[in-house]
Amino acid sequence: MPALILPATLLVLLMMVAPMVLLFRYSLNLYSPTELMIEAFTARNYLSAVTDSYYREVMGTTLQVAFFSTLIALTAGFPAAYALARMRGRWKAWLTLLTVFPLMVGNVVRAAGWMTLLGNTGVVNAGLRATGLLSGPVQLMYTPGAVVAGIVTVVLPYMILTLSSVIEGIPRNVEEAAQNMGARPFTVFRRIIFPLALPGVVAGSALVFILCMNAYATPVLLGGAQFKMMAPAVYDQFVRTTNWPFGAALAFILLAVTLGLTVAGSALLQRRYRR
Amino acid sequence: MITRRTLLGAAAAASLATRASAAGQVVVATWGGDYGELLTRNVEKPLLTPVGIEAVQDLGSQDARKTKLIAEKVSRRGSLDVVHLSDTDMYQMAQAGVFEDVDLPAVPNAANIIKGLRRPYSIPHILSAQVILYNPDKIEAPKGFADLWNPKYKGRVAIPDLNYPAVTFGSAIAGGGGMSNWQPAKKMLLDLKKNEPKIYPSHEQLAQALKAEEVWITPMWLARGFMWRKAGIKLAHAVPEEGAIPVVFEAAVPKNARNKAHAWAYLNAMLDPQAQLGFADRMGYVPTVTNATLPAEIAGQIGFTPAEQEKFRVPDYSYQAKVLPEILDFWNKEFKA
Repeated sequence: MPALILPATLLVLLMMVAPMVLLFRYSLNLYSPTELMIEAFTARNYLSAVTDSYYREVMGTTLQVAFFSTLIALTAGFPAAYALARMRGRWKAWLTLLTVFPLMVGNVVRAAGWMTLLGNTGVVNAGLRATGLLSGPVQLMYTPGAVVAGIVTVVLPYMILTLSSVIEGIPRNVEEAAQNMGARPFTVFRRIIFPLALPGVVAGSALVFILCMNAYATPVLLGGAQFKMMAPAVYDQFVRTTNWPFGAALAFILLAVTLGLTVAGSALLQRRYRR
Repeated sequence: MITRRTLLGAAAAASLATRASAAGQVVVATWGGDYGELLTRNVEKPLLTPVGIEAVQDLGSQDARKTKLIAEKVSRRGSLDVVHLSDTDMYQMAQAGVFEDVDLPAVPNAANIIKGLRRPYSIPHILSAQVILYNPDKIEAPKGFADLWNPKYKGRVAIPDLNYPAVTFGSAIAGGGGMSNWQPAKKMLLDLKKNEPKIYPSHEQLAQALKAEEVWITPMWLARGFMWRKAGIKLAHAVPEEGAIPVVFEAAVPKNARNKAHAWAYLNAMLDPQAQLGFADRMGYVPTVTNATLPAEIAGQIGFTPAEQEKFRVPDYSYQAKVLPEILDFWNKEFKA
């Protein structure tokens, strides 16, 4: 049996763990604009990232966007996941395919689509003007709203598929029993379905939250140059100034915060509904 | 069945094969798209294939090339023979000690390089400079960088985020500083914020905004302006009276290149006057050698007069490399905030 997990383990060790260890080592080095990376063993990069109000703000923006995107994905995804889970026959296969459809185009292509929709001469603005509701264009691009909308469309399929696979496992007769005893639909949802679907809610939210925290293309293209999230900030350090040590430190801070919040959030949700 | 012996045999055969083909090969790390294609058409096919040198392009972003150079720095045998980078990045990598000094006898065409563009570690390939692009229907011809601060253009000034170094130094010059003193740019750029400039994350998005006439004026490489004009965007350009900041795309040979002789031959071919002219018409860049003359109809659109060239504000690369992280910090934290 252990031999069966060997190929995957080796692959992960080689492709994931080894580069991470190397990157972590880099994060302890020092940077010089001329020599680029100087061997050292210091926590200075971490300290300057944590004490710098700019990066705290960037982290704050990232957390807000990730939180709202996850919440919207959960709220919008749950009913769809329920419908999908309770569906039978040919339609189900088609709808599942349609759900994953957005994942078939890359992030950049999808963002380009949003740009043609939201630009000042885009479809939405043109439509509003045609109906006479507006005289000048409203700024839709380069706003936090555009970023959240863009990210939600990326992560929604993950949420729906994770949730519906768990909801499928909830026996229909549990719901029917509750209804027979006089529970209204909302009570059935609150007391029966949601608690039973909780593992899916936790898994889906964790997955989506992680994806949101690490979003790169969407915030850059839809948020514009003045909107900063963590992944673009990390990229900036690596690419624009070739400051690998600081970029690596930022990357590990992002990793730690994402991991910490995901674990804490899952634990909290599960404890709350365990009763 | 695969045994250890067959594996070893296959590996040996593979390494022999790469070594054999490496005899006439030169690996060129460069940009894809137009640039890579023009290299094939103007440099590789007409000048290198006939003498038995086969060029293999390793296409990718500039960042990927820099990463590769840094990562391979300690290897005795690198994977790249020729590396293309912009002037600023080339200087930075040269400082990191990854490049061989140009072997002048092996690159005879280097004798024709324009004087101000000669460097020990690289050859210049093509050139453009930061000018002021503007919509002639909306505004009068600007004179220089200072026009960006004109309150009449409030909300109509576009700033390319990617060009933060050139925009900062242009602002520094407008504020009384220079290529070796960026400090005045701070006050200037903070002042510019009152004019509510629109900052675009990519050049393509900026071009879209120019096309839609959402913005009217922007500092940009003339080569880009030329290409946008060809794409139907209504644009004119003004070379700043205080002097334009040039951008040069360069080529160099890493110290651990496997095939240096061919690499130098490649650099020499890049400086061939006919090959140089091939990049003007499609990409809008100007030759870097004195013996290539642009056709008159293109020269007016992409070229710089001798007087304008005389006034070029060539970056002080060593100063720039030192202050660039500081500039990016200011750019992100204060200008864009």
